[in-house]
Amino acid sequence: MSYDYWYYTPSTPRAVKGGIKAQTRRGEFGKSWWAKRWIGILRDFNMGARFERGASYARRGQVISIDVQSGMVRAKVQGSSSRPYSVKIKVKTLGMPAWKKLATALFTRPVLAAGLLSGQMPEHIEDVFKDAGLSLFPAKSADLSTDCNCPDWSNPCKHIAAVYFLLGEEFDRDPFLIFKMRGTERKVLLGMVGLKPISVMEPASDAVTATTARHGSVSESSSSSYRNPDRLSPQPLPSEHAEFWGQVEPKDEWKDDGQSEFVSIPQIHAALPKRLGSFPFWRSEKTFISVMEDAYRNASPAGLDAFIGGLQSGDSKE
Amino acid sequence: MIILHAGQYGGNLTLWGEVSWEGHVNSVSQPPRKKTSHADLHPFTAGIDDLLGALEEAVPGFKHGAKWICSMAAWLPTKRASPVPSNDIIYDLPKSRTKAKIVPWAVAGYRLSTEDAVNLLCVLMGKHIVAPGVLVGADLAYWADALRLAGSMVTRQQFLPSMTADSNSYRGAWIPIFVGKDAELFDKLARRMPAVGRALSEPDTVVPPKKSPIAVLGQILATLTDHLVRTAVYKASHSSIRRRRIFDSMHDLWLHSLISPDGLLETKQFNLPQLAANIHEWQLPVAALAGSPFRLCFRLEAPDDSKGDSGKSGRTWHISYLLQPHDDPSLLVPADEVWMNKAGRTSVLERKGPNAKEFLLLSLGQASGICPGIAASMDGANLTGHAVDTAGAYEFLTREATALEQAGYGVMLPSWWTGKGTKTRLAAKAIAKSPKMRGGGGNKLSLDTIVEFDWEVAIGDQKITLEELEELARIKSPLVKARGQWMEVNAAEINQAISFLKKRGGKKAAFRDILMMKLGAEGTTPSELNFDGISATGWIADVLDRLDAKSGFKDLKPPKGFSGTLRPYQLRGYSWLSFLQQWGLGGCLADDMGLGKTIQILALIQNYWQSGGRGTTLLVCPTSVMSNWQKEAARFTPGLPVMLHHGVARSKGASFKKAAAKHALVVSSYGLVQRDAKLFGQVQWSGVVLDEAQNIKNPNTKQAVSARSLKADYRFALTGTPVENNVGDLWSIMEFLNPSFLGTQGQFKRNFFVPIQAEHDPDATDRLRHATGPFILRRLKTDKSVISDLPEKMEMKVFCHLTEEQASMYTSVLKDVEDTMFEAEGIQRKGMILATLSKLKQVCNHPAQFLGDNSGTANRSGKLARLTEMLEEVLEVGEKALVFTQFVGMGNILKRHLQETFGREVLFLHGGVPKGKRDLMVERFQDGGRDGPQIFILSIKAGGTGLNLTAANHVFHFDRWWNPAVESQATDRAFRIGQKRNVQVRKLVCVGTLEEKIDEMIEHKRYVAENVIGTGESWLTKISNEDLRDVLSLSRKEAVRE
Repeated sequence: MSYDYWYYTPSTPRAVKGGIKAQTRRGEFGKSWWAKRWIGILRDFNMGARFERGASYARRGQVISIDVQSGMVRAKVQGSSSRPYSVKIKVKTLGMPAWKKLATALFTRPVLAAGLLSGQMPEHIEDVFKDAGLSLFPAKSADLSTDCNCPDWSNPCKHIAAVYFLLGEEFDRDPFLIFKMRGTERKVLLGMVGLKPISVMEPASDAVTATTARHGSVSESSSSSYRNPDRLSPQPLPSEHAEFWGQVEPKDEWKDDGQSEFVSIPQIHAALPKRLGSFPFWRSEKTFISVMEDAYRNASPAGLDAFIGGLQSGDSKE
Repeated sequence: MIILHAGQYGGNLTLWGEVSWEGHVNSVSQPPRKKTSHADLHPFTAGIDDLLGALEEAVPGFKHGAKWICSMAAWLPTKRASPVPSNDIIYDLPKSRTKAKIVPWAVAGYRLSTEDAVNLLCVLMGKHIVAPGVLVGADLAYWADALRLAGSMVTRQQFLPSMTADSNSYRGAWIPIFVGKDAELFDKLARRMPAVGRALSEPDTVVPPKKSPIAVLGQILATLTDHLVRTAVYKASHSSIRRRRIFDSMHDLWLHSLISPDGLLETKQFNLPQLAANIHEWQLPVAALAGSPFRLCFRLEAPDDSKGDSGKSGRTWHISYLLQPHDDPSLLVPADEVWMNKAGRTSVLERKGPNAKEFLLLSLGQASGICPGIAASMDGANLTGHAVDTAGAYEFLTREATALEQAGYGVMLPSWWTGKGTKTRLAAKAIAKSPKMRGGGGNKLSLDTIVEFDWEVAIGDQKITLEELEELARIKSPLVKARGQWMEVNAAEINQAISFLKKRGGKKAAFRDILMMKLGAEGTTPSELNFDGISATGWIADVLDRLDAKSGFKDLKPPKGFSGTLRPYQLRGYSWLSFLQQWGLGGCLADDMGLGKTIQILALIQNYWQSGGRGTTLLVCPTSVMSNWQKEAARFTPGLPVMLHHGVARSKGASFKKAAAKHALVVSSYGLVQRDAKLFGQVQWSGVVLDEAQNIKNPNTKQAVSARSLKADYRFALTGTPVENNVGDLWSIMEFLNPSFLGTQGQFKRNFFVPIQAEHDPDATDRLRHATGPFILRRLKTDKSVISDLPEKMEMKVFCHLTEEQASMYTSVLKDVEDTMFEAEGIQRKGMILATLSKLKQVCNHPAQFLGDNSGTANRSGKLARLTEMLEEVLEVGEKALVFTQFVGMGNILKRHLQETFGREVLFLHGGVPKGKRDLMVERFQDGGRDGPQIFILSIKAGGTGLNLTAANHVFHFDRWWNPAVESQATDRAFRIGQKRNVQVRKLVCVGTLEEKIDEMIEHKRYVAENVIGTGESWLTKISNEDLRDVLSLSRKEAVRE
């Protein structure tokens, strides 16, 4: 019984509103193998009870912010003291020559390239690193150092662990964060093998829109079209009669105007958000995907009613 | 009349309108608008009262809000200082060759909240007229198509939660995501946007609006999509959404803004630009695909048998990967070529857009989450596709393909799969045995006769025994190649078939149930297996076959006491009706107008009455045709006692029941069936016949409900409109004819309406046709079997009634002249007679014509009502009609009334039309096809001779020139060389008035020896006073139906 007991703070941490909340409610953090590998590094530290406490910190939203940069992750974690603690995780970066070598190896196999481009960390990627005499995750303790300004002398402490867990979840979503931490960006990596990342418009600095669809944008300033920028350029009004006023088309053609596509309510709800995965650094108590599922399930029938002209016919009070 | 337009203005769809010249003159009661800008006031713009009035008529429950009223500028093509109207109906601007200029005009507008817009667009979908005199401009109709697209996007869940920003606020938003096919649909729709949809601006703007159609459509679709999702989610969340100020996190705030009615994100608490950036980042993968000019396609290829690879388990299928540009779907580049950067076709791809390779990899990466085989295939160095075994192919066909398609990938499947019907599926068939008819005829076959039946299971035509099924279940291969054809053998289905056969052995049922099963009626067929009909023998087979084919029964002879000749197809129709009647089934006779539905049903009633039935048939029809029924019954079935139930003096209570029992036919109107529902309900009718049955097409109206509640042994419906084409209308009529046959209204919507209307499910269409076909008989004039029976020219009289207003006018005209006319002599007598005839004719035509006061036209003339109904049927089948009148005044009234009712241009040729214009009218009518004018009104003097109007195959004589030679000369405008169809000529006659009596005189050739007739009506002035008194008098009891 020593310092450990002395410094141990059993009191519950101060509640944080709007902290980053782990989306993993129970069980292990991280779904993907690479996230599991990341958490595995933490597990190897044999932190005892701090490991679980860190997990519960992550779930309760005690982590206020996380910032991933090349070679360094900085985070703020609210503990029991009035001011949040600062957590730093220093990671050794790989140099440019090493990355170049890796890039060539990565992009000769479609499975690796496709996986990386679409946000998957291919299983064989560690082999590629190994073949190059490198390692994706920090291998030696010298490659990784952690620091927290809490009074707990042990390192990693639960605050650091909490950050680890949340990072694991983020790696699930965007494995390129691991690369970023290790010193390169996706863009750079792709560029090394002559590929251009597919970019959509960047959010404009003043009027930000999050609309990313080709046409679905609401604010015109932002909806530069990737395919053909001219499409949105002004078009003067024509003065020719039919072009100006349009033509009332016969009913049959109206019915078949390209919309004879199969329109039905999907079996699986919210496929699009599910495909995109959970939202980055989600902070609400509500689980994002389940909120979306409810919304999409309720929206479909309303859409169908609008598609068939509402309740004007065939509807009933049974 | 008003034509409604809508364009994007201030972020909303904003409604404005053009009103016709007369309408504009009539609307002087509106306060004069101040000129608020440099734009001049549009000379025939609708005032705000016109707009709101139209909205209230069109959208049930619409309530306007003052804050949505606005004034704006519409930038319109303009010639000679006048805006060119969208439609000649509005204002006939003199044609000129000068090119139109775009000029701003001040117009009144009503901004539609998105909710109002959705309601309005739903109401007008597929219509070009929403209420009498309220027309839908092509631009407004276009926005209804946009709503359809938004509805389709929301139904298929092609949208994402997002966030938008304008200069001073952030909002949560649900945005549509256009990927693949949807992107093409979007482009197509944008391309056909009428420019008027983007021609609105602030009243004082000096530059014309020039937003691109894509920007405008994108904005409107985004608004509609957001509204549809938001309101649905809001409704489902009940009242748990309260206005809040403080949120636990910025994501809670965002979720709230996606549901709250205004969507506003108001906070100083959080960093909103950061949130926007996060949302952008999150959506990036989908956006990257949405923005691409390519899509990835998967093609499933069946094993190649030529390679001797025929072992059951060793079959190898291949799923190949292909890249396809959106704008050139025929170009399919194998993924391998793209990956290896092969020259040639890859460079074609690169021209269409950069990043083909990245796009390919990204797509494959994402698709591998849906279809695991893809991930494995990418491990090698090439990228042609991947192989699957038969089970894998089945998995791809049944599950993965759908999921890939939903995610925006292209999927190409073998035709035997996509075109699969019940032919290659397991199906259950019922085998019915006809019980022997015992001699003696004591037990008449009926729907209640008990029948034995059994089940068997088959694939296509091949019967499969229980043992074979069990063998198939053991093999466990979902796809089997048999007779050179792959087919699906679903394990679950096989097991269901096995248990089905074991469970359902021989059974007994009433013949009614067999019949319902045969037609696939709701709830009668097996739910666990496809149903492949009934195979029957003996009389059951006979009855079922006849029902199906609507033929095969011997043609009956015309009933005794029927005076008149039934044409061969009418005899067939009569026999069909009798067949259904015999089996207690309801049917709808939907023959084309003019083919004689009336006399077919009269023959049926005659037969029923004289063959000992003696029961009473109730005939329900619109008021406007009651007189006609009475006349036709008197002519063809003079032996039938007919009673008209109408008017204030109609019998009630016990006396009605008593009177009804004595008659073979009681004729009444839809209005009275509803008003006297209780009275009608007390009678057990032998039969109920609904004429113009489209009157009950909306099942929730009171008249439809009361019609359904009538008790009768047999039921028939008559209509000239093609009911079978309108899925929505079918339920109500079938529910009247054969109750509960199509299930409840809700079941019908689920089983038929939504699959057919929204999913374009050909199976559902077939099922519905199969189920309803036997009960609908529709023959067209052009049918081969009919056309040979028809004369080239059919002349018919249409008997109409007077309204109360017309009758009292008629009487007072007579009173005025009575004393003097019969005393007068010579030229004075002649003049007075002609003047009186003319006045009475005008009264019969329309009170507004007689008064010459330009007053309202609706519901004041029985003749006009009837003409309108008949023209509606003509237009419905896309044919053209001539309408002759001898009065220019009446021509004008007709033109106005018909234009307002049908929302289409109606031509009117009279003596005052200059030659050039007259030639143009004739040309447009003759050559315009279906898009040209379909109704041509002619004054008999100006248009009765010389013209060639063979585009018309209907001729209506609205009023009579009491001279057969002149009338037939007019008729010959359509009935002449060049006419390829049969021509139907109708002369409208008001019952109980001079029109009917003079008509009778001509028929009986009294006074009118053919040689006496010149071209005038002066023979009428030569008849005796006694006859004259009789001719002019009004038989009020006969004439008035109100």
